[in-house]
Amino acid sequence: MTDMTESKISSPLDKKDAMAGDDTIGYTFCDGCNQAPFCGIKFFKKEDIVTCIENWPGFPAAPLCTKAYATLQRLYHPDRLKYPLKRISPKGSPTPEFARITWDEAYDIIVGHLNRIKKDYGPHAVFFYVGDPKEPRAAVQRLAATYGSANYGTESSTACRRAAMLAELLTYGFPTLGDLPSEKTRVMLIWGTNPAYSGRPYMIHGKLAEAKERGLKFIVVDPRNTPTAATLADIHLKPRPATTAALAAGIMHVIFKEGLHDNEFCENWIHGIDELKNYVKDFTPERVEKISWVPAEKIIEAARLYASQGPGGMLLGPQGTIHDLNATNNHRAILMIPAICGYIDIPGGITKPTEPLEGMAPWFDGPPKFSMREKLIEMKAHRLDRKEFPAWAEKFWEVQTNYLVEWIKAGKVKAFLAWGFSTMIWPQTHEYQQAIASLEFSMAVDYFYRPWTHDYVDMVLPAAMNFERLAPFAVFGRQIFGRTPIKPQGECKEDWQIALEIGTRLGYPEIFFNADVEAACNDILGMWGITYDDLRNNQETGITIPPQGPELFKKYETGKMRLDGKPGFATPSAKIEAVSLVLEKHGYPALCEYKEPMAVTRDYPLILISGSRVPYITHSKWREDAPWLFELQRHALLTIHPQDAAKRNIERGDDVILKTPYGQMTVTAKPTILVPAGIVGVEHGWKDANVNELIPRQFDPISGFPPFKEIICEVVKT
Amino acid sequence: MANYGIIVDLNRCTGCMTCVIACKQENLTRPSVWWNKILELESETLDRITYLRHACMHCEDPPCLTACSHEAIYQRPDGIVLIDHEKCEGVGDCADACPYGAIDINSAADYFPDHKLPFEEEPEPHRRHPPGKAGTCTLCVHRIEAGQEPVCVAGCPSKAMIFGDLDDPNSSIGKKLGKSVPLLSSEGTRPKVRYICNENLLKMIERRIRKNPKMVRS
Repeated sequence: MTDMTESKISSPLDKKDAMAGDDTIGYTFCDGCNQAPFCGIKFFKKEDIVTCIENWPGFPAAPLCTKAYATLQRLYHPDRLKYPLKRISPKGSPTPEFARITWDEAYDIIVGHLNRIKKDYGPHAVFFYVGDPKEPRAAVQRLAATYGSANYGTESSTACRRAAMLAELLTYGFPTLGDLPSEKTRVMLIWGTNPAYSGRPYMIHGKLAEAKERGLKFIVVDPRNTPTAATLADIHLKPRPATTAALAAGIMHVIFKEGLHDNEFCENWIHGIDELKNYVKDFTPERVEKISWVPAEKIIEAARLYASQGPGGMLLGPQGTIHDLNATNNHRAILMIPAICGYIDIPGGITKPTEPLEGMAPWFDGPPKFSMREKLIEMKAHRLDRKEFPAWAEKFWEVQTNYLVEWIKAGKVKAFLAWGFSTMIWPQTHEYQQAIASLEFSMAVDYFYRPWTHDYVDMVLPAAMNFERLAPFAVFGRQIFGRTPIKPQGECKEDWQIALEIGTRLGYPEIFFNADVEAACNDILGMWGITYDDLRNNQETGITIPPQGPELFKKYETGKMRLDGKPGFATPSAKIEAVSLVLEKHGYPALCEYKEPMAVTRDYPLILISGSRVPYITHSKWREDAPWLFELQRHALLTIHPQDAAKRNIERGDDVILKTPYGQMTVTAKPTILVPAGIVGVEHGWKDANVNELIPRQFDPISGFPPFKEIICEVVKT
Repeated sequence: MANYGIIVDLNRCTGCMTCVIACKQENLTRPSVWWNKILELESETLDRITYLRHACMHCEDPPCLTACSHEAIYQRPDGIVLIDHEKCEGVGDCADACPYGAIDINSAADYFPDHKLPFEEEPEPHRRHPPGKAGTCTLCVHRIEAGQEPVCVAGCPSKAMIFGDLDDPNSSIGKKLGKSVPLLSSEGTRPKVRYICNENLLKMIERRIRKNPKMVRS
């Protein structure tokens, strides 16, 4: 300890002249990557000023990444929206003008439109939408259900998690992107996700790296040279985008041919096993190499490793494999690989939690009772998407939003009430911007004025940020944590507050707790016999609601997989469905079939992957929201293989034109081996280089998802 | 007496930039100054991208210290190399002398010109960066003195960095010391930030640092 004393004397950084006043501690969650609510932030404050943040010790979602640290700079950004704004110039005008109004005026306008539209057109003409953050989903569903509209949608039901989840529900009967490897896991299949940067969504790379050091093998499937592949992969397969089902069929071909599958599981628990075996017979490694660009010997090697070194786990991405025109069946094909190996619901495999917290669903969905799920489902005949996407409509209460343009043009939607929404989520963005501008009323809640969205709406409301929010609390498994908000900047209000106040003023004060956010939280917490005060009294550790019993496996044998208690999986056949009875019923290809993606041409010889992530950006957020992050990257980058760049005389930093048959844009080139030859990549969400304008409004017929990772393109030096 | 250092395992670093921004948030350095940098190195032959966390090496024989004619740079008994802003005249000899390109002269720029954020109003000493003075990683000496690790090490999601007493063979860093190598050992600076990486990669890194130690993302 003596050296510490000595060193203190010699340090110019001695704390003795630090500013007066003691730090106090607070806790909140990060909303940086649009999970609801996610990684734990412990913060220090002087009076009500947040000064510094660090990891919340012992919090389940950890550690923090760049975005969480940058929430500090975002909190005090001078450009934050701080007051309600009402449009005073025509929508879509080149110089949109807004006037500051009071919250009372804002609510009067909103409630006036809601009552008028209900009277004139019926309640289903109001579309309720939650984008990013997901945090208000429960409160907004409650609002939609109480108002009486079946038309509630989210960014997940546009282009994010739901298509993969649809595949999971159709195939396994429960949602799963796989689990972190347990001590029992011996091989992991990571497909279409880069957990070094995103996807779990908290940063799990450290845990995977530890698993690798204890001998676990990794198969990584990703066209790109991601850090996940570079640091973990024993085998890295780089498929051509959108050929997922063919590659999966090739792997299964080898597994069946060499007898490496779990025959007993296949025969007893897979519906359509014979059709699957028959289907993959033609997918020889040699043929699959031609389709997918993955060398035949690597397909064989991966199949052998995964099937013979069990138990095998998996980590799939919520978006990586479902942004093409065969989205649902491509993802279903991946899911069949662990299934034929018998890795479902065994220790070290792909498990369904035995004792999820009673009455809860992830905030992604919202707890069913509070979210008035039954009421939304009762009104399903009024859903706008039920004809286009019947399998989807059967599985989800969230409306698939991609036909919003047509519904607005047909007069079926008259108003759009949105929390945290971005028009750039949609392909051919301008069509959605114009449609939204033509509505009788639209409202957006956000942190900043986002021109690509707010230029087209009637009202913009200022949202409180993560440090300023009480709701929702966090739930991880059976652990519950609260937060300790500071006073919001300006007149900002938290998302839940806004939803509850609209509901209260619509004439439902009891249903909306007289707009008391804590009372709303307590309504949910009451299911477990606790209140928000209990969370405060157990602030750092949270409260764990004990399970009824131990974690169990092979629950399909004991009836614990299904609500009715019968053995089997929660699918129509009570088995894992290689042939989906739901898809069959609605006339879709019921087997997880391959569909040839868009073919390259002489004019468009490259394939575009849009939407892959860097860790310091999520969607159209961040960038100027926090200059610490914007400084890392100030514009959209086109990643192109050095050979493809050289052929086109393109060097690092050059402005290039990226064009598809559907649109073009100028972007800065970055030749890099991150992408293989033949494929280029661009991030989404850049306002001056919105790649979604280059994507057609074509959709996977089952999920309605757009082909963000399939479109052919060319790159030309300007 | 402790002898502080860091070992960076390049088999684990993913270039996620968490150390870069954790450091920004902790130390509030000025725009275009990064005390933690991530360098990207690509090998087309190996078809592999390596990410390198790069910062002040806290050399045992720091050339910056001898280069400074104002005696503004000093080495603490625990080996941490610091710049005394009272004495620094901003000449930049230290920056020229550093073979790692780890020292920058503070600009007068702010992230929000003419607008101080509340937490910037009365910053703690480690968060003050007078324009025209030299600045570099302090190894988060203010945290070390409070019994904490440097913020880059504590925050690394991939646990790619180990901090500790290089002289303690039983410490986690001491145990890995034998597997680690210094960068630019030919310079004779005896850096105390060391790396776990293979020989070929080491050569590639050294070429990159000599050519351009800046963090270039685009």
